[in-house]
Amino acid sequence: MNASAHARRFLLLAALLVVLIVPGCHRAAHTVAAAPPRPTQYQVEIGRTIYKHDCQACHGDTGAGDGSNSFNLDPHPRDLGDPAFQKKKSDADLADAIRRGGSGVGLSALMPPWGHTLNDRQIDAVVVYVRSLKR
Amino acid sequence: MPLRRLFALSSLAFLAVLAVSPVKNALRPYRSIQAQYKALGLARATSMKAASVYADRQIAIQQIWIPKFDNRVDRCTTCHLGVSDTVMAGAPEPFRMHVATYHTPGDFPRFGCTACHAGEGLATSKDDAHGTSPDSSAPMRPAAYMESGCGRCHQSETVDEAPTLSYGRATMAKAGCYACHAVRGHEDFRSDAPPFVSIASKTGGAWVEQWLADPKKVDPNATMPNFQLSKDDITELANYLFSLPVPPQLEQAVEQASAEPAGNSANGKVLFRESMCITCHTVDGKGNGSAPELNHIATRATRGWLIAFIRNPHAFNPKTKMPQYSFSDQDVRDLVAYFEDELRDFDAPKEILDPLRVNQTLADKGHELFKNYGCFSCHVGTERGGERFGPDLDGIGDRRASSLDFGKRTDLPHTLDAWLAAKISAPRSFADGLKMPKFSFDPEQRRAIVTALLSMSSAPVPEPYRYIPPQQASVVPAGQVGEIVDRYRCLSCHQFGSRGGDISTAPLTFEGSKVNRDWLVSYLMLPTSIRPLLPERMPIMKISKPEAEKLADAIETFYVDPSIPENPFAGRPAADADPKEGERLYTTLGCRSCHIIGSSGGYYGPPLTDTHTRLKPGWVYSYLMNPQKWRADIRCPNYGLTDTDALRLTAYLETLVAAPAAPTATAEQRSAR
Repeated sequence: MNASAHARRFLLLAALLVVLIVPGCHRAAHTVAAAPPRPTQYQVEIGRTIYKHDCQACHGDTGAGDGSNSFNLDPHPRDLGDPAFQKKKSDADLADAIRRGGSGVGLSALMPPWGHTLNDRQIDAVVVYVRSLKR
Repeated sequence: MPLRRLFALSSLAFLAVLAVSPVKNALRPYRSIQAQYKALGLARATSMKAASVYADRQIAIQQIWIPKFDNRVDRCTTCHLGVSDTVMAGAPEPFRMHVATYHTPGDFPRFGCTACHAGEGLATSKDDAHGTSPDSSAPMRPAAYMESGCGRCHQSETVDEAPTLSYGRATMAKAGCYACHAVRGHEDFRSDAPPFVSIASKTGGAWVEQWLADPKKVDPNATMPNFQLSKDDITELANYLFSLPVPPQLEQAVEQASAEPAGNSANGKVLFRESMCITCHTVDGKGNGSAPELNHIATRATRGWLIAFIRNPHAFNPKTKMPQYSFSDQDVRDLVAYFEDELRDFDAPKEILDPLRVNQTLADKGHELFKNYGCFSCHVGTERGGERFGPDLDGIGDRRASSLDFGKRTDLPHTLDAWLAAKISAPRSFADGLKMPKFSFDPEQRRAIVTALLSMSSAPVPEPYRYIPPQQASVVPAGQVGEIVDRYRCLSCHQFGSRGGDISTAPLTFEGSKVNRDWLVSYLMLPTSIRPLLPERMPIMKISKPEAEKLADAIETFYVDPSIPENPFAGRPAADADPKEGERLYTTLGCRSCHIIGSSGGYYGPPLTDTHTRLKPGWVYSYLMNPQKWRADIRCPNYGLTDTDALRLTAYLETLVAAPAAPTATAEQRSAR
């Protein structure tokens, strides 16, 4: 076999590779971009149950910070529905504040830490539910 | 020549037949799905090492085999390849990582997939595996009812981390489903429906007819469903109920009471408030709602009956949850005078409480109806009382959709869950002549009940997979103390071990290790609000001093927990009992967001102003170390305190005593708060 035949075959293979890989990459890149995990109904339900039980008294039914116990608190409980707040805090920030409480993240100690009461799965579910409270 | 041609053709046909299997295998959808997974993994992998895992993947059927669990073979992971792969969090189905649950991802090899999700584990094509046809013997559990899967192994009423299932089971018990339908594990269930023995002396024919037409319309707290009776049915049933003889001693008590002089309505109003009736009842919707609405109580029962009943409810209904308050005769007259003045339906016809003149022919027809509708299933104490009238529900969650009678409901998709949901919202819509009454469940309750129903399997899961949480010993005192507990129906609200109601958040199982005896005596006689935020509070039942002392002594002696130390400071260095440090902790931990000391703090938790008088130090310490140990739904978070910090806080709280100047409040003052 001569050199030009080699080159031709290489070119052909390379072209084939490009044809095969490019659309593949495109699709893969697309999936990665659309990755924010969609919460399941189960997670929302767990989160809602815990929220109602442990958070509602201060943060209120809709997360507005107007629960029945809220007017005793200074500083006032955070308005969890505030879009600016929701945008500013990552899921990890929210989980951390729930886990370690206000004093753990340099805020008011009136928000207690839940890390010894709820497990990580439950805390993640509460974060999912808190996200659903965004106005 | 034709023979040779025939031979050639048959050889070709033979070859083709031989080729079918390998070709079919090569074309099976899971192969292309596995190839997609590989591509997706390579695209998502963040390191060379992670990528090599995907690159090296062979295309092959995956399976989890669990011989001990009904010989389960689950090939779901043949397509659902990413279930325990963190790279696949949020990936599109079928590759998405499994949502975090108590059992995932660690327990996949133990339970497989179909134990929770159902479906045909052996199948490797989507439709077969998911059981989408109505003939499928194992359709997958729909996502909306996913928690029914938890209920297959978890057979207790409440299942942690399965709120919908737990709510469904609780709703079924409250609605009395198990009174008509036999269900494994609920053999002893008996409805709370009252006996009829005193109905003729209690109310009038017009009221009973109104009630039978639609109980919820008369009383939103009614647990009795709507039997959708015709006008004639209603008249006949009412005649039957009024034909039942009233026991002479009850009739006499009612008659005597009705002849008593009128009470003082203003006094009755005060008494009504301090008696905390809305701990169980409601007035205009306010209150707990596990007992009847009282806004029209004087239109519901005659004055004589109300007086006689409040004096001794247990004579009228031995199973009632209502305590027998130690009211004076005058107290009860005052209460009923208040009912007649204010808690009545002013629009009701005058004759609503007039007794019905029984027509025996109609009453006999009513008796037939009574049997025909299975009223005896709930109203025990009648002929055939307590017999299960409806079909068994064991295995209802395993019914094939094709075996269900959809009858007139051509609008429904042919699935089990759609059938069940329709059955509990409109039971008689399937055919004429059906007998199941109509309940008024809201959509959330419906979904929860369908979840609970789908969890009912025909055969229980093998023993090692069954989970029933350990039952706590429930010692209910006997003798004189037992009589006191029974008279005041402590167990209607409180718990002894696993027994008792759920209205109170204070179990009595370890009450003796928790509160001081002297405090308990005064609390029993004149309870104060411990959690003022709740509508449910300990009623003032006018318990006498000797009764309160007997009860408190029994609690002090028997209802103790050995893990709660008498003196938590024993053998500890003096610094551990430093109240100053404890006070600092109280502030830095933010306890005041829920608790009041003096005049500062929230009132979500109990006020701590007088901790020393109420609580024993050993309890305070044990509680602080792990609040949820004592009741799983305690709202006070576990702060993860060190032993020393818990002791210091205890020491601080134990310094708290009510200011000596505070005079003892009278009953009126307390109830006015």
